[in-house]
This record gives sequence, C-alpha cells and structure tokens, in this order.
Amino acid sequence: MNIHHAQQVSDDWPEVRAELERAFLMSREAAQAGENFVYVIHHDDLLGRRGPGNAMVATGLLSAARTGAIEGSRKGWTANVVAFDDDADPEVVQAWAERLASDPAGVSGELIRVGVSHLGKTLP
Amino acid sequence: MIGTVVVTGAARGIGRSIVERLAANPSFKVVGVDLSPELGDSDLDMIPVQVDLTADEGVAAVVDTVRRAETPLIGLVNNAGITRDSRLVNMTDEDFRAVLDVNLGAVFRLSSALADLMSDNGSIVNIASRAYLGNFGQFNYSMSKGGVVGLTRALALSLAPHVRVNAVAPGLIGTEMAMAIPEDVLEKMVAGIPLDRMGKPEEVANVVWFLLTPLSSYITGEVLVVGGGRSLS
Repeated sequence: MNIHHAQQVSDDWPEVRAELERAFLMSREAAQAGENFVYVIHHDDLLGRRGPGNAMVATGLLSAARTGAIEGSRKGWTANVVAFDDDADPEVVQAWAERLASDPAGVSGELIRVGVSHLGKTLP
Repeated sequence: MIGTVVVTGAARGIGRSIVERLAANPSFKVVGVDLSPELGDSDLDMIPVQVDLTADEGVAAVVDTVRRAETPLIGLVNNAGITRDSRLVNMTDEDFRAVLDVNLGAVFRLSSALADLMSDNGSIVNIASRAYLGNFGQFNYSMSKGGVVGLTRALALSLAPHVRVNAVAPGLIGTEMAMAIPEDVLEKMVAGIPLDRMGKPEEVANVVWFLLTPLSSYITGEVLVVGGGRSLS
C-alpha cells in the first residue's frame, strides 16, 4: 500500500526537502500506477507546534494530497491524509491509513484526525 | 523613516505592487530583492539587491544590506516564487526541486536569517497561494505553498510576542504568471470566480500593507485568502 509516514525532521532545509521529496516520489509512482496514496502526519505539525521543519513537511503534504486528489478525481485514484496526536492509538492510525489506501469509499482530499487535540483549533 | 522592510520578488507583479505601496510612504525604507536584472531598471524608491535566494551568498547579501540600512528592520515580505506546472504523473524531479527550493526553501532560509534582526512589533508576511488548498497540475507548487502556511504558523509561535507572522494566499491575480495561462483556460478560471474577474496586484498589496502595519496588531499565524471568493464556488 502507498502510505507515507512523515519522519520528524530538524529545522534544516535539505532535510525538509528530502522528506518532501520522498513523499513526492511515492506519490508519483502511485499516480502512474493509478493507485491511491496516503500521508500520515502528526497533528501538532499542522499548527507549527513542533518547529518550522516539521510544520513545512506536514502542511506541504496536506496541500499535496489536496492537489493529488483533484488530479486523481479524473483518473479514479485518491489522496488523503491521516493526522494523529500523542494520545492516538498507533493501531487505529494505521488502520485509518490502510483503509484510505485500499478502500477509501469515495473519500479523497480529506484530512482524518485521530485524537482530540485538534478540537477548537484552526482548520488547516 | 521608522524602519526597513525587505520585499522579495520585487521586480514584477505582486512584489512590485507591494514595493510601490510601501515606497509611497516616507516611513518605510524598502529593500527590494530579486534574481531578475529588471530590478535595477526599476524607477521605484528602493535599495535593490539582485541575488539568488536559494544560495547562501544571496541570503547573506540581504542580511548585510539590512544591517547597513541604518533603520530597524520592521518588516519582511517573502513574495518570490516560481511555477513549473505539470500533472503529477509527468512531473520531473528537477521541476519538483526547483519549485520547492525557491517557493519554500528560500522563504525559510531568509526568514531564519532575518528573524534575529527584526525589531519588536515587527511583522513577517509570507505570500502563499490559494493553491495551498489544491490546484490541478501544481503538485510541486501546491506543496511548496502549503509548506509556507506551516512555516508561517511555526514562526508565529516561535517569534511571538515580539514579531507577528502571517500569510496571504492570492488567487488568480493579473500578473505575468497568470498571463502565461492559455486564454481558454483562463476564461474558464475567471468564470469560476464569484467576483467575476482576476484580482489586481495592488489588491494583494493592500492586504500585505494591512498585515505589515499596526492595523493588524492582534493577528498572527493566520492565512488571508485574496481570491475573489474562488474557494467557495
């Protein structure tokens, strides 16, 4: 399955770009094969709470998934994002990612947030 | 003169309009940064710095200019950006890297380099794009501008309470970048905009002005979309 788990990065541009490029390469390969893809990120990074490096990766991936979803809508594949917080059960997070990668049931361009730390915060 | 404002991508389009807006006010000393030699031909009242912001030397040249400006650094507008559009399935590694390096890497590096020089109550404005919400044929551009949104939030948290950091997300604006779009495609795009027209560069500059000045003194970490309602239609 085409699931990219974002790795934590330091506030160093080459490291940030390398992480985004890994996601790009996976996504391009998936798109060329007509397959769905999913990114898994930490919710705190969507709000910039763990520094610029991790924030650039998380929000970059969210926007990339939105664009991927638009392109995939014409070809029959999907792109989605799962965000988790520190209290989320890793097995639940993985189950969501696998569901969206294998059988998204019409869901595309969406952000699924596992946990409650996003409640009352800005919509990313 | 109350302070210096650095504007990147200052030679053309939205950046030029931002410089015009600022330079018309004697309170601001504007440092205009661009890779293009057109920067030197400008008749605008600014200190031109023609450099490549993806290179360490380029960032260092801007920092050096700011240090010599003799007024406190009160603003930074990260506006420089490029496009290399294609569908994801056809996107090359080179086009991916080029867009990421200019649109996101340079913003991060310049902001990091200038953050310590910013005066209290300073303001950073990052020009993102409405494409951070997704746009066909722009996987690299959309990713880069989404990254700018995250960077904006992270810097807003780390630089508070002394410096505010916000982003502007322009939609379809009548610049050279938009004019490169095939006419029939452009017509369809405009038809999807509730305000029924492209935006003008000065309409983005007005929002940048708002975010740079005390008019927005209680706003940080936000993204203001300037898109004529396109995100709704």
